[in-house]
Amino acid sequence: MSKNRKLKKDFFEIKWKTDLPYRYSIGKLAVKFFEELKVNKKILGSKCPKCEKVHFPPRAVCADCLVEMKIDDMVELPPKGTLEGFTVVNYPFTDPSTGGIRPFPYGYALFKLDGADTYTMHFVDETDVSKMKIGQRVEAVFSEERKGDLSADIPYFRIIKEEE
Amino acid sequence: MKIPKHDVAVVGIGQTKFRSKRRDVNIPEMIYEAVKMALDDAQLEPKEIDAVIIGNMDHFEGINFSELLCGIEAAPGYLKPVVKVATGGTTGSSLAICGYHNVASGIYNNVLVVGWEKLNEGGATTGIITAFDPVWERPSLAGALGPLALMAGMYSAKYGITPEQAAKVTVKNRSNAANNPFAHLQMPNITIDYVMSSQMISYPLRLHDCCPQSEGACALIYANEQETKKITDNPAWVHAVETAHYYTFGTDDKMFDLPTATIASKKAYKKAGISNPVKDLDVAEIYEPTSWSELSWTEALGFCKPGEGGKLLDEEITQMSGELPVNPSGGVLSTNPIGATALVRVAEAAIQIMGRGEKRQVPDVEKALAMGFGGSLWTEIMILGKNPMR
Amino acid sequence: MDKVAIVGCAQTKYEAEKIDQTISELVFEVVKKLHNELGITNDDVGCVITGSNDFNDGRTIANMAIQDAVGSVRKSESRVSGDGAFAFVYGAMRILSESYDTVMVVSHCKCSEVDQYLVNNTIFDPYYQRHLGLDQISSAGLMANMYMNKYGVTEDQAARVVVKNRKNALNNPYAHLQKEVTLKDILNSKMMAYPLKTLDFPPFSDGAVAMLLAKEDVAKRMTDTPIWLKGYGSCTDAYYLGNRNMTDLIGLELAAKEAYRMAGISNPIENLDVCEVSENFSIHELMIYEALGLCEKGEGGKFIESGETQMNGSIPVNPSGGVLSSNPAMANGLIRVAEIVLQLQGKADRRQIPNAKTGLAYGMNGICSQGNCVLIFGGD
Repeated sequence: MSKNRKLKKDFFEIKWKTDLPYRYSIGKLAVKFFEELKVNKKILGSKCPKCEKVHFPPRAVCADCLVEMKIDDMVELPPKGTLEGFTVVNYPFTDPSTGGIRPFPYGYALFKLDGADTYTMHFVDETDVSKMKIGQRVEAVFSEERKGDLSADIPYFRIIKEEE
Repeated sequence: MKIPKHDVAVVGIGQTKFRSKRRDVNIPEMIYEAVKMALDDAQLEPKEIDAVIIGNMDHFEGINFSELLCGIEAAPGYLKPVVKVATGGTTGSSLAICGYHNVASGIYNNVLVVGWEKLNEGGATTGIITAFDPVWERPSLAGALGPLALMAGMYSAKYGITPEQAAKVTVKNRSNAANNPFAHLQMPNITIDYVMSSQMISYPLRLHDCCPQSEGACALIYANEQETKKITDNPAWVHAVETAHYYTFGTDDKMFDLPTATIASKKAYKKAGISNPVKDLDVAEIYEPTSWSELSWTEALGFCKPGEGGKLLDEEITQMSGELPVNPSGGVLSTNPIGATALVRVAEAAIQIMGRGEKRQVPDVEKALAMGFGGSLWTEIMILGKNPMR
Repeated sequence: MDKVAIVGCAQTKYEAEKIDQTISELVFEVVKKLHNELGITNDDVGCVITGSNDFNDGRTIANMAIQDAVGSVRKSESRVSGDGAFAFVYGAMRILSESYDTVMVVSHCKCSEVDQYLVNNTIFDPYYQRHLGLDQISSAGLMANMYMNKYGVTEDQAARVVVKNRKNALNNPYAHLQKEVTLKDILNSKMMAYPLKTLDFPPFSDGAVAMLLAKEDVAKRMTDTPIWLKGYGSCTDAYYLGNRNMTDLIGLELAAKEAYRMAGISNPIENLDVCEVSENFSIHELMIYEALGLCEKGEGGKFIESGETQMNGSIPVNPSGGVLSSNPAMANGLIRVAEIVLQLQGKADRRQIPNAKTGLAYGMNGICSQGNCVLIFGGD
């Protein structure tokens, strides 16, 4: 008790809470991606016109060739893929996009969409690690009402059970 | 401008005692502790320093242009060049490499290099999340531990590495840390059971598979040949520096190994005349954010074949008494002040070369490796030696 | 041996808001332009040094976002946090240390993505100053007023800097503001922080700049017009504004002296043909004249009146239009270098200073010239 009081007296802190909001440009390919996601429930990647590597998420630069990928280079990817790695996040932290604690535990995985050459991360609807296995098939779950926001429109990927 | 290239040596070292919180000091006061120790170590007056290279991660403490506060108020940067280098987890090694080029270029005779972080004043995980793409990565990302957990799981699945083997890394490093007066987590009596029964943080990572968050600073002084001669007869010479970066999205490639560590270390070994790292190196200070990653990184650095990181540990090669002790300081699993972490690796490698490691000293160190890890799977390597390169 | 050259550079057009481009795409634009201009591929680039700032980009490790765009996958890239001129210096050092034959230096900034006043407020320490709401505008007002009081420099003289730079910008296709302004426009513009008015300050811009550095033999192979680094000086002034000499840019003065010494410049006005400086407000450029030794202390006002720093004067300053015309904050210093390179290569088109042989570029970090970097360049 006396120790706590001493701490308070000797060490005080200045709080700084100013919000520093940003407006990030997302680029033409992402605009197209979100349009297609919202309107047509489609997932698009971008294919390098030189090396033909299919990138997901779509982006404008193929890092291996330093070649630009344009909207014409976007290709549709099936909403299914293969689990390559997984974890269950089980610790609290402040979500920078909301300022609040992100709810946990949540499943979180690395997978490759069919037809893509890169891997990607997203939530999975499983928090029991004994039910997850590398090589399992996963499928995007779309929201009925989509607004052009990745985690709102595809809230998670679902593990496709073997019996299906 | 016609300036010859110079050999460069570490001639002064300072570190704070690393702790989870340093409520007793503000940021410049904390940094000054390490700066003062480095200056005293090299027996240099502040005015004798030619330039200050300093870094941390802006968003962790919420101070923009922190070098202008800290380079002046905590280091002898007034009326001198002060430059900030910041590259995430590799900040410390990027600072070390920048300091090297400042002297090797012949522009400066000496430089003071400082890495620091006061993590508890901001939010580290929150800060780390903002390193990632706001559209594609941030929504699901859980700071650095999420991807590290994915990597550990994939690595384990690929090569059959066991949680016991991972736990043994923590036991090794935290008991080594008990010999390092500057280390944050010192656990001389830690057991495998203790690690394996700690809370599951992000499968397969348990609490004690993960590095802590530490506050503190590390400072190094580099000098060219002429200045080094004046300062000490026991410097640590820089033999090679290398960096390998990777895709903006770390997840573009499979994450179970660290290709950049292989690329950077191979180049560095070539420069430093190392053909067999286990035989030719005497000690390694590597940047292992998790227990699993130390096993994986030792493979990527060529200490053993892919998949044999667990075996390398089981054969006690990386123990203090082994052929190539890894992390005598206790490593990152014991101490992690982010902007300083990779610079501590260089400092500890230099301490080993100088034979000043006291209880953590490895006998007869001629060549030492220091590694930085960060960004989207980036690696930086510095190799130090007892003798100058030329 | 042991010489560093710039063999080519590329800039974007500077604009208020490049909403159609991500930061990565913005950077890729200049990287690709540089490759095309020099006829090189990524294999010809030894390593990359970038200059950026996490607060401006809203990203921790801001350079991570541009790894793909600068071509540094499996290669070495490092990032100087701050003004691009400092990134240039690190790039040059990597060649002087004989570690790389070529280095690409890139700097970018999208001021439009975040409130610049908030960003600049975070430069002030959280213990004593930040809560006072200081930013680049209020501290500039403080500095300008102290300087004008000490030396009797007038608002009218300050406004002439703006008239000159905005007029020069008309000749620079990359410049953001391309509209001439009159003394009256400036003097009648809204008061921001006494004695400085809206038009005494630069706009906020988005843009990027890239250049390729090479060691001597490689440079001579790559271009007929290599531009050599002749001198460099850097110096940091006190942190707290209260500890600064607010009427003279001491840090810049010392940085310039060091650069002049290295380049063998004894009389800057005679030895230099052109200057590109980072003037963050009108009065700032007058103070820069004095610190660079282009005129005596306190004579900055008279010096602008003399016309010597105009396009046809004895020492033209900011033929590009300077920061007052284009201000992608973190890129400003590297833009100054790029503009000097164009001048010395004779490629500056309508803003060309005839027979420019030696030029000076000045980049700065922080508030009111706290961190200073002076670079002297020369042609063959």
